This record gives sequence, C-alpha cells and structure tokens, in this order.
Amino acid sequence: MPAPVSVLPEIVRITFRQLLGRRRTLLLLLLAALPVLLAVIFRLAGQVDVKEYSTGVFDTVSLTIVLPLTAVLFGTGAFGAENDEGTILYLLAKPIPRWIIVASKALAAVLLAVSLTVASVVLGGLVELFPAGPDGVAATEAQVVAMVVGSICYVALFVPLSLFTRRALVIGIGYMLVWEGALSFMLPGIANLSIRQYAIGASTAIYRLPLEETRLPADTAFVLSAILVVVAMAIATWRLRRFELSGGSD
Amino acid sequence: MTAEVLPAPVAAPVAAPAIELAGAARWYGNVVAVNDVSFSLGAGVTGLLGPNGAGKTTLLHMLAGFLAPSAGTVRVLGRSPHRDPSVYRQIGLVPERESVYSFLTGFEYVRYNGRLQGLANADSAARVAIARVGLEDAADRPIGTYSKGMRQRAKVAGALVHEPQVLLLDEPFNGMDPRQRLAMMDLLGEMANAGRTILFSSHILEEVERIGTEILVMVAGRLAASGDFRAIRALMTDRPHTVTIHSSDDRKLATTLMADSAVFAVELQPNGLSVRTAHLSAFRRIVATSCQAAQVRLLEVLPADESLESVFDYLVRR
Amino acid sequence: MSTANRVTASSPTGNIYDLGYRHYDGKRRGRWYAAWSLYVDSLRGIWGFGRPMSAKAAPFILAGLYAFPAAIQLAFSSVIAQSVKEGNAANLFEYGNYFTGLGILMILFCVAQAPEVVCRDQRYQVLPLYFTRAMGRSDYALARLASLSTALFLALMVPMFALFVGDVLMGADAFAAIGTELPKSLPSIPANLLVAVSMASISLALSSYSPRRAYSAIGLVAYFLLMEAVPAIIYGVGQHAGWTWADKLVLTTPITSLQAATDWFFGRSLTARGFPDTLGPDAYVLACIASAALFTGILLFRYRRVAA
Repeated sequence: MPAPVSVLPEIVRITFRQLLGRRRTLLLLLLAALPVLLAVIFRLAGQVDVKEYSTGVFDTVSLTIVLPLTAVLFGTGAFGAENDEGTILYLLAKPIPRWIIVASKALAAVLLAVSLTVASVVLGGLVELFPAGPDGVAATEAQVVAMVVGSICYVALFVPLSLFTRRALVIGIGYMLVWEGALSFMLPGIANLSIRQYAIGASTAIYRLPLEETRLPADTAFVLSAILVVVAMAIATWRLRRFELSGGSD
Repeated sequence: MTAEVLPAPVAAPVAAPAIELAGAARWYGNVVAVNDVSFSLGAGVTGLLGPNGAGKTTLLHMLAGFLAPSAGTVRVLGRSPHRDPSVYRQIGLVPERESVYSFLTGFEYVRYNGRLQGLANADSAARVAIARVGLEDAADRPIGTYSKGMRQRAKVAGALVHEPQVLLLDEPFNGMDPRQRLAMMDLLGEMANAGRTILFSSHILEEVERIGTEILVMVAGRLAASGDFRAIRALMTDRPHTVTIHSSDDRKLATTLMADSAVFAVELQPNGLSVRTAHLSAFRRIVATSCQAAQVRLLEVLPADESLESVFDYLVRR
Repeated sequence: MSTANRVTASSPTGNIYDLGYRHYDGKRRGRWYAAWSLYVDSLRGIWGFGRPMSAKAAPFILAGLYAFPAAIQLAFSSVIAQSVKEGNAANLFEYGNYFTGLGILMILFCVAQAPEVVCRDQRYQVLPLYFTRAMGRSDYALARLASLSTALFLALMVPMFALFVGDVLMGADAFAAIGTELPKSLPSIPANLLVAVSMASISLALSSYSPRRAYSAIGLVAYFLLMEAVPAIIYGVGQHAGWTWADKLVLTTPITSLQAATDWFFGRSLTARGFPDTLGPDAYVLACIASAALFTGILLFRYRRVAA
C-alpha cells in the first residue's frame, strides 16, 4: 500500500476544527493571555528584571501551568473528540496506515499547543524582557525553545494515553500536578523522566534562564525528548492497530 | 438449530465470496454476542435481521474489522479485515450511531471521506455520491443542522464515495421518512445489480422484504436462518400456517377440510375461510381434493401470514 | 401469528383498555423529596455506586491516596508511640496540617468529579426533565452542590478518623486517651466542612459553565492553580513598587486561604506561604465563607439562565 501521506493535512485540518470552538478557544486564550497580563503588571510596577520574571512568571505560570494544561487539553482531545462523538469509526475505516493517523493527530495537537504557548511567551517577552536588552531577547528565545520542546513532549505523552482510557484528561492533570509538580521537587532524581526538565534543559541551548533548578544539559534533554516522542508514537500506533470497539453486544 | 435453509446466494462475477464467515464467534467476558456463525455472501443485497441485542452490530463490526472474532474466521474479499487497513479501500461502512462531524457541511464530509480514501478527484466523487442519495439541496449546510434522515443519507454518501465492493450498513433506514426509505432501497438495489455486495441490518421487516429477498436471521447471537425468506418460511414445517381461502361455499368446504388430519382449525370469517395447517405442500393437495369432494368451486387461496414479520416472530419465539 | 387474529377491520368502534397503570393516586411528596432524591442519587454517582467499576476508580483512588498517609500512621501507631516515648518527635500528620499537606489530591478530586456531576445534564440536554418536575432550578443546583460537598467532606474526614484512632491507640489507657483526643479532633469537623463547601461551590460553579467535561476540568485546574500563583506574583511585584494593598490579594487564593482558615480552627499560627501575617487569622475564615457564598451565587445564577 503506498503511504498516502497526502491525507495527513486533511486529518490535521479536521482535528483543528474539532479542538477549536468558540468558548473553548476563549478559555485557552485567557489562559495564554495571563503571562502577558502579568508582564504588563511587571512593567506597571516599573520592574524590568529577567530573573524575577523568569522565576516568577515564566516558571510558575507559563512552564508549570499554561504549557501542560494546553498540551493536555489538545493532546487528549485529538483522539478524545473522535471517541466522544463516535466519529472515530469514519477515520479508522480508511485504507490509511495507522501511524499516519497517529502522526496527523499528534501534529495537529502540537501545532495548536505550540502556537498558543509560543505566542504567550513571545508577547510576554516583548513587554517585559526585550527592554532588558540582549539578555532579555535571549531569555525570550530560550523560553520559546522550552515551549516548543515542552509542547511536543507533553502532546506525545498524552496522545497514546487518550487511546488507553476515557479519563485521559484527568489522569493527565493528575500526572501534571503530582509527578511534574510535587514529586519532581521531592525527588530530584526523576529529572530524567520529567518533561518540565526536558523543556528547561533544551532551552539552555540558547540561553541559561535564571531558574531555581536546571537539571539536564541541552543535548541530554534533546535526546530524551526524541526518545519519548518515538516511543510514545510507536505505542499509540500499536494501540490504534489493535483498536477494538468497546461496549455492548448489539 | 442453525440449519442453513438454502445455499447462500451465489453471485455471478466474483469468484470468491465477498463476505465469508466460518464458525465466527465473539464474546465480551462471559457474554456471548455472536455464536458460531457461518455464511458467505456474494453480490446482491442481503438483510441482516434480528431483534435488538441479537448481535447484528457485533457481526457488522467484525466484518468492518473493528472487532476481532474470538473464534472462527471472518473474511472480506478474501482477507481478514482486522488489523489490515488496506481492505477498507473496498469497504464502505455506515455505522449505527448518528454521530457525524457536525461542523462540516454534507459536501465537505463526503469529500473528506473521499480524500481519506485517497481519491484523486474527491470533489467530483463527492458530488456524485451526494447526488445519489439526493442530498444536493442541503449539501452546503452544516450537518449539525440536518434532520435524522438527512444525516443518515450523508453517512451513506460518505460510505459509497469510493465505490466500495462491499457496503456494510447498520440500521441505515433509521430516521428516514417512507419516501427517503424507498429511494435508499432503490439505490441499494442498483448498487447490488452493479455487482456489489451489500449487507444491511434492520429490525424493521418491511424494509427487508422490499429489497432483500435474501436474509440472514440472527437470534440471541446465533444464525437462525439464512436464504430466501419465503423459502425459509416454507421449510419451517413444524410451524402452523394460516391460509385464507375463498370459495363458492365456504361453510361446506370447511366441514370437508376439518375431516383431514393435516388441518388444525378452520374459522369462518366474513372475507373467507381461515385455515390453520401444518404442512403447506400437503395442504395444497388437500384443498384440491376437498373441493372436488364437496363440489365447491375454489376462488382464491392466500397465505395469510406469509410476511417477514411472522417468520421473524416465529424464529424469535422459538 | 398475530396477523391472522387481527379483527380491527371489521370493528369500527375503538376501545381504550384501562389496564390499571394510568393513574397515580398515591401521595406526592413534592419539592423537598425531589431535591433529596437528586442529592442522594448525585452523591452515589460521585462515588460511582450504581455505575460500572471504571466510574469508581477515580474517586476511590484519589480519596484513598488522600487517606493513605493517615492510614500508614495508624498502622504504625505502636511503633510511633514507642519512638515518641523515647523523645524522637516524629514529623507526624495532625488534624490541623493534614489538608495543608495533601490538599492537592482534593483539588484533583474536584477536577475529576465536579464535571461529572453537572456537565452531562447539559451535554445531553436533560435539564428540562429535571426542571419540569417538582424541583426548581435552584433546588437542582443546591442539591448538586450539597452532594459534592458531602462527598468531599467524607473524603476529608476519613483520614481525620484514622488519625483519631491512631492517637487513641498510642495512649496507654484508651478511655483516657479518647477523653484527651476528642477535644483536639473536634475542630476538624467545622474546618473540613468549610473546606468541602468552599471547594465544592467553586468547582460546581465553574464546571456548570461548560457542557463538555474536558473543558470544565481544564478550567477548574487553571482556576485553582492560577489563583494560587497570580496573587503571589502580584504581591511580589507590589512589594518592589510599594503597592500596600497587594497583601490583601492572598484572600483571593482558594487553597491557601482554606489552609489558613484551617489553622484558625485549630488555633495554630498561620501557614499562608509567601504572604505576610498582616491579616488576622479570622480574615481567612471570612474570606472562605464569602468565597463559598459568591460561588454558590454564581452557580444559582448560572442555573437561572441556562437554557433548559
């Protein structure tokens, strides 16, 4: 069977429309606008400070809240919306290799998560960091890298999760609060298994953000991210290949 | 009990049967949804009948590759559909659930299906499919605004946009009004005449009676009967038949008929004699001889319950 | 076989048979009973009773994790009692600091279960079925709120009970121990009641604004996390800029305020992290009560307006 890669943009386009709706988009725009708002407050207080902003806003809000929430919503929603509506049958009853379906869904979610989170840090950076000079510009660039790597990794993790359980979103949020939040502070050893640390590590390729903990060097972070993505996509493809309709006998 | 009543309909052009099940079974935990079902189908329309919970949908999902058989084999066009996406090039599926991408217009939806099938000319194929189900007027409205019947037709259009060899439809007539139903039946008939294999499930019998002379009857997960439904009916000799007879002297004929052991009951009705009998073929001879003996002129003999509903009713109750 | 027996064609008159089920002459219990029924059903639903096993997983796992440390402490109470006697003051959970330490699991409980309580009724458009009964819109909202509050309160009290039993067992004389433990443990009832009602009102008010569970859940987490982070950030900035009003922002935090209010009930010193102690402890209690009232108002307002 020739690999009909041409269907990829079709699936991506439909997924966009499933994931974006008026009110839902509004919720996410509010979320992404928050760091920008905080940047404005920083400026109103007459404070232009790369360190304060990086730890206070980028770390605690963008990296810890906005990024994982955006990614968990899009990542679990990519297949979740099809599953909820029961439209997944139309997608699966097509002569398309399953890895292309997985790749399309993940790509759509990544594109949305990246555009939202990157726009958020860029706008925040323009307001608060650029006035701080070259350091501020570099810090903004580093934040963009962190958002891109973080979006890709989180989405890669949540897409297969949504193929295993209907409560993927809640499990994803639990993972984000407990594993990435509480446990990674208590157990520094799990840095190798923390997407937050991948994102921070990757950003050091551009600039070392003044954060409280940077545990992975850039190259390690990139390698681990790549492994995560490949393994997650493989699991998702395997799972989709074995897809069975659940439920009743009628 | 699963006596195959007639040989499966053998279609002309396809050498191997398009759909073939051998001992197929599917269970969920310890609930058996489909139990040891074997049949094969060639070109033509076949109705899959049974009450709710009989396992029709499970069977269709196995054929569509969304469920692996727990035992036995399921083959579509000679291949096992589970975990072989390439077979979908030749399968069109209309699932029972009404869900569709409500934000797409009918045309967009059908075209999307065409593109996912890899059609180079998805636009024109979509237009053809939309026209076939008679949805041209609503094609540019979002499916979310459709009525049930329109949604059902959009689903059918999406399933036949790539001209599949095998079309599987789960309760396709749900929500359609009688006129749309007739049009859809004609469409399925046309496609069958063009050499395609069409299997649709239904619990409404008139639907099947009209287009599907071939039926598969499922009861409680098992195949209870298959073949031409009138033939099935005739072969179920242990079941009483009711025949209505008009003659020149019903009362006189009734007394003669009552004398024969093959006749259970005779009832005089304003519109004729209602006779209950065990053996239809034997009864035909009896009627002839009785008329001669009683010197009554036979005007009309009607099988009163030769409708699919009664066949079905009987099978389900057995 | 039915076809042969049809005689309708020859009988032009129609009959309606009274088979005895057309009338209900029994007592009608009215509005309160309807609301009570919804409350009970909703409470069962939150814990997944009468639903498949998969529906029980989330509430029981989260409540179980929340109670886990207390259960461990209970299981090893004799060992702990020994080491306390030897003068090693172990870092133990008490009634007053339990929610402060493990409250994140209760946030997760709300995120997982609050959307289950209210979203589906809107999604599947069954609200008219409720509102055309003896029950009004406000009754519906309050019954749902009461059920989630009760569920949270139960989850919050299980570890309290475990701690109580553990502490009693640690004492040499159980009856004497009960006498000393009881007054110490009693404030956990009003404290956890406040926590339960406050978290439930926030969760349901926010959840009720989306018919889709996923978006409700995201909105809830975002609210709980951001309303913790943002006031702290603004307070930090304000210190540099000399914004004297900024320390009052702590009263808008949902969880930190509850933790501080819990401290008030137990007469402990404040643990509102990152903020100064300029506000009296009772300010937090008032803030939590005000927040619960506000979100209950939002919930009622929502159900006054929601299309049914």
